[in-house]
Amino acid sequence: MIETEGNAKGASVPVKAIIRGVKNEAPGVRTFLIEKSGPPAQPPCLPAARPGQFNMLGYPGVGEAPISFSVLHPEKTTEGRNQKNQKNLFGHTVRAAGRVTGFLSGFVEGDEVFLRGPFGRGWPLEEARGKHLLLLTGGLGLAPLKPVIEMAPTLGASGVTLLHGAREPRDIIFKTELARWKSEGAIEIELTVDNPEDNPDKGQKQQPKIHSGLITELIRPLRIDPSETVAFICGPEIMMRFAARELLIKGMAGSGIYVSVERRMSCGTGHCGHCQIGPWFTCKDGPVFSYTQLKGLPDVIL
Amino acid sequence: MTGASASQKDYKTVIPGDVFALWVDRLGEQYTLTGPVGGGVTARFEDISRFAQMDLDYQSTMLPPGKRYLFEPAEEILSYDISGESNIPGNNRETGGKQQKISVNLPGLPAGRRALIGVHPCDVNAILYLDKVFLRGPYIDPFYTARRENTFIIALNCKSVTDLCFCHLLGAGPYLKARAGYDMLLTDMGRGKGFLVELVSEKARELFDIFSSGRPPEEKDLSAMREAEASLLKGFKKNLDMAGLQNALLSRPDHHALTETSDSRCLSCSNCVMVCPTCFCHNVREETGLSLSRGGKSRIKKIRRWDACQDISFAKVHGGNFRAKRHARLRQFVFHKLDYEGQLGTKGTVGCGRCIRWCPTGIDLTEIAMAMMK
Repeated sequence: MIETEGNAKGASVPVKAIIRGVKNEAPGVRTFLIEKSGPPAQPPCLPAARPGQFNMLGYPGVGEAPISFSVLHPEKTTEGRNQKNQKNLFGHTVRAAGRVTGFLSGFVEGDEVFLRGPFGRGWPLEEARGKHLLLLTGGLGLAPLKPVIEMAPTLGASGVTLLHGAREPRDIIFKTELARWKSEGAIEIELTVDNPEDNPDKGQKQQPKIHSGLITELIRPLRIDPSETVAFICGPEIMMRFAARELLIKGMAGSGIYVSVERRMSCGTGHCGHCQIGPWFTCKDGPVFSYTQLKGLPDVIL
Repeated sequence: MTGASASQKDYKTVIPGDVFALWVDRLGEQYTLTGPVGGGVTARFEDISRFAQMDLDYQSTMLPPGKRYLFEPAEEILSYDISGESNIPGNNRETGGKQQKISVNLPGLPAGRRALIGVHPCDVNAILYLDKVFLRGPYIDPFYTARRENTFIIALNCKSVTDLCFCHLLGAGPYLKARAGYDMLLTDMGRGKGFLVELVSEKARELFDIFSSGRPPEEKDLSAMREAEASLLKGFKKNLDMAGLQNALLSRPDHHALTETSDSRCLSCSNCVMVCPTCFCHNVREETGLSLSRGGKSRIKKIRRWDACQDISFAKVHGGNFRAKRHARLRQFVFHKLDYEGQLGTKGTVGCGRCIRWCPTGIDLTEIAMAMMK
């Protein structure tokens, strides 16, 4: 007998799921609320998924793309609140960028989607206990942290601050949620855009104020206690680079800064090798890494 | 304790070559026999019908036997059948997707039994490396597992050393030190003296029913083996402080030895990766049947194929390519072989020298590493 470890069941076999809701977030960006069909024992074994993990989302003949969970608590979302089977619901926010995501973006309610997962290590939520949790996000990078924000009251953090940057006001995703989070007051929110012109929501009181400039300009004035702060960063790698550097300048250790990185993935199971960064596999060792884990490795922009 | 009972305990016996050949021929009744034919450094593993077809004096092969037969170059891992009215998502507002009939099918696991005969120590160690990739958590690969279980591995200690071999620097040869993960180990005792056969696995003890037709190895056999190994060790041309490379190459990622070699000579042809016995990277693609038509039946196959980090699209994502530069791709190969021990707890090379031999411009990863460490 050949000695094996680990779990072979289902990791490479897609399961069918049904699109239960579609929400436009920004130009080219949609959130899909998805219900897993099939027997409950079949993966993806939700609600075992953790924030920061991802599914390989795809369709036969088109291919698959790794997409993080943006909804793990459907009861806390407007579109999920009225749904039946909330236990089996989860969501992904997709930008129509390439061939696969372009196809996925065309889904409508009732369509079938095929997926595998959940894969990867999520955000180290336990690190936030007793500390100030700083969330720095850019563009679509807010999506993998949305479940973290929604479970913020349960994390035991001394405080939560979200700094989010986007290109233009209309590119800011989760506007409804941002307004709700602001009104609930559980977290502090600052938004910034490169170009503040043409804000379609201008003058709406419930929207958080939108600054203009790079996210680093929101980080600089922050007063943080470096040893009592933990940061989760998600966005384009170049944005994460400069955001992390601002925190290092403030005295934070690389081990307290976590980033979620994107790499090409084909299997999700640590076999195909495409997502390697130095000795790591992004799919199984990541996609969330501490800054220290990635620092100094080749082909990393951090 | 007598010699006989001692050898019984460690399952070593010396068998005349012609007797061993007859046993292998008979093994062919249960197993597809696969062994080295051709000879020299361009031998190749092929299915054979008789022991006599093999050249056990061979030095190397282009494709490594472990990767070739345990991890198929192209394999269907899944298929989808689309039948009835197939709706393309986004187009089915009228039907609500109810008429889509897509089933997910898993192909049967490979079942054929194969005996890989004459596998050199470097290639056995490469199989142990692939085991770490495909058999150790968090996910195991069912196809590799099935083939591994159905494959009987007869290793063969080397009889010669080539100029490009450096297995001795990694403990991967020329004599096999691993004592598990394969079935039998042969040492050719020289002209007319037969093979010293070591039965490593339970399976080998079960299948090798002529154990007692051999004689227990005597001290002079064992000392002859030690001498042969010592004389082989003197024949290696390459030297490199392997242990000193970990994290050391990584600290010089843009060293000129790497960039100059890649800029002046690397063709990004991927030969190095294809012939490497430990390179496990692959790509999974979906191939659509031509009959994808309304009301027709169609099959979409998910095929995985060997892939290479030297290919320009290997690390490409939407909006960028993490290894767009040629030297970044060569660096990935060199560092993965010689530095990143943390990945699987061992070096990614076994010192077989194939990547050097089959590089059309003669790029040598040991020379790059040596220049980088100067």
